[in-house]
Amino acid sequence: MKTEFLRAAIARATETMRAHNQELTELDQAIGDGDHGTNMQRGFDAIEASADEISPLDLGAALQKAGMTLVTTVGGASGPLYGSLLMSMGKAASSEPTDRASFAAVFSEGVDAVKRRGKSDVGAKTMLDVLVPVLQALQDDGGDAVAVARQAADEGLESTRNMLATKGRASFLGERSVGHLDPGARSSALLVHVVCDLIEESQ
Amino acid sequence: MSGLVKEAGYVHGAAVIQDPTGLHARPAVKLTKSAKRHGAEVEVRAGEAGNWVNAKSPNAVMKLKAGHGEELQFRARGEDAEAAVAQMVALVERDFQE
Amino acid sequence: MSESVSIVIVSHSPQVARGAADMVREMVGEEVQVAHCGGNPAGGLGTDVMAIKSAIESVYNQKGVAILVDLGGAETNSEMAVEMLPAEMGERVVICNAPIVEGAVMAATEAAGGAPLEAVKATAEEFLS
Repeated sequence: MKTEFLRAAIARATETMRAHNQELTELDQAIGDGDHGTNMQRGFDAIEASADEISPLDLGAALQKAGMTLVTTVGGASGPLYGSLLMSMGKAASSEPTDRASFAAVFSEGVDAVKRRGKSDVGAKTMLDVLVPVLQALQDDGGDAVAVARQAADEGLESTRNMLATKGRASFLGERSVGHLDPGARSSALLVHVVCDLIEESQ
Repeated sequence: MSGLVKEAGYVHGAAVIQDPTGLHARPAVKLTKSAKRHGAEVEVRAGEAGNWVNAKSPNAVMKLKAGHGEELQFRARGEDAEAAVAQMVALVERDFQE
Repeated sequence: MSESVSIVIVSHSPQVARGAADMVREMVGEEVQVAHCGGNPAGGLGTDVMAIKSAIESVYNQKGVAILVDLGGAETNSEMAVEMLPAEMGERVVICNAPIVEGAVMAATEAAGGAPLEAVKATAEEFLS
C-alpha cells in the first residue's frame, strides 16, 4: 500500500512538473532567471529514475532520498529549498504520520527548514507564501484537511501576485516584480495539489 | 634611491611609481603581499598629503589610487622594520617586477 | 611552509568560475590553493551541490576555506554543500558576502600572508564598505 502510494506520488509529481515546465519557465522568465521549469523537471526526472529504490523505503527514508536527489540534480536555489523541505520532513517522519496532526507536525519541520535555508518567511513572494498557509490550515484543525490545504495553497499562490519580491533574483526587479505570480509558489501549489489528489483518491 | 630615515620610532622610505597606469590592482596585491612578509607594522601613503594606511590591508592599498609619478611613502616600526621598508621601496623602484 | 586559507569560487557559469580562479592565481600567486566550479549538474548555467562539495574538499586544509559566490542559487547551494561536509570540516568553511572576482582576489591576498580564516573573510567583505 505505502510503496504503491509513493510510486504513484513520484509518477504524478513528475508528470505534473513536466506538464507545467513551460508555465513555470514563463513565470520565472518574468521575474527570475527563467530556469525554474527545467530545474524542477530535471529534479523530478531524477527522482522518477530512482523510483524503484525510493518507493519501497519507509516514508522517512523515502523523503530523505528524494530530497537528496533534488539537492544533487536541480542546480538552482530550488534544489536545496525543496531538498531541505523533503529531507527535514523525512527526518521528522521516523514514525509514519497517521492523522492530520501528526502529518502537520512532520510538514512543519519541513517548512521550518525552508525558512532557514532561504533565510525568509511569508510575505517575501516565495514558495513559503504557499507552504506556510497550508501548514496553518492543517494545524487549525477545521474543515476537511484535503479541502483546506488545497484552498490555502491556491490563496497563498494568488497572494504572491501583488507582493514585492525581497528574496532571490526577483528582488533585483523591485517594483517590477509586482503583478507576477511567484514561480516557486506556483510549483509548491502544484505539489500540494498532487499530494491532496492522491490522498483523496486513496480514501 | 631614497635613503631610509629613522624618526619617532619609525623607519621611513619612499619611491616614485613608474607604471604609466599608476598603482593598479596587480601591483597593489604585490605590495600587500610584500608587507605581509614582515612582522613589522608597515604603513603606506600616496604623497605627503595622503593618509597613512595599513600596507598589509589589500583593500586599503587598492584604495590609495596612487597615480604615475606619485611618490609612495612607507613607514614601519617594530621587528624587521628596516628590512620591510627597504623591500617595499625596492619593489616600487623596480616597477613591481618579481 | 605554513598552510594558507584556500579559496573556492562558485559561479553559475563554468567560464566565469575558471576566469576568476585564473585571475587569483595570476595576481596573487600559487601559494594559495584555489578551486572553482560552475554550471548545474546538466551542464547549463547554475550550480551543483556535489561539485561545490568536491571543490571544497580538493583544497581543504586546517586553516580553512573561504567561498566566493555570485548569484542567489550559488549561495544556497554552497550553504548546502558546507552542511554536507563532516562537521569538523564544515566549521572551517565560510561563505563570503563579497563580489565574486574582487572578493576572491582580496581574500587570496589576505590568505597569502598566512592570515586566519576570519581575517580572510573580513578582507573580502571589506571591499564593498
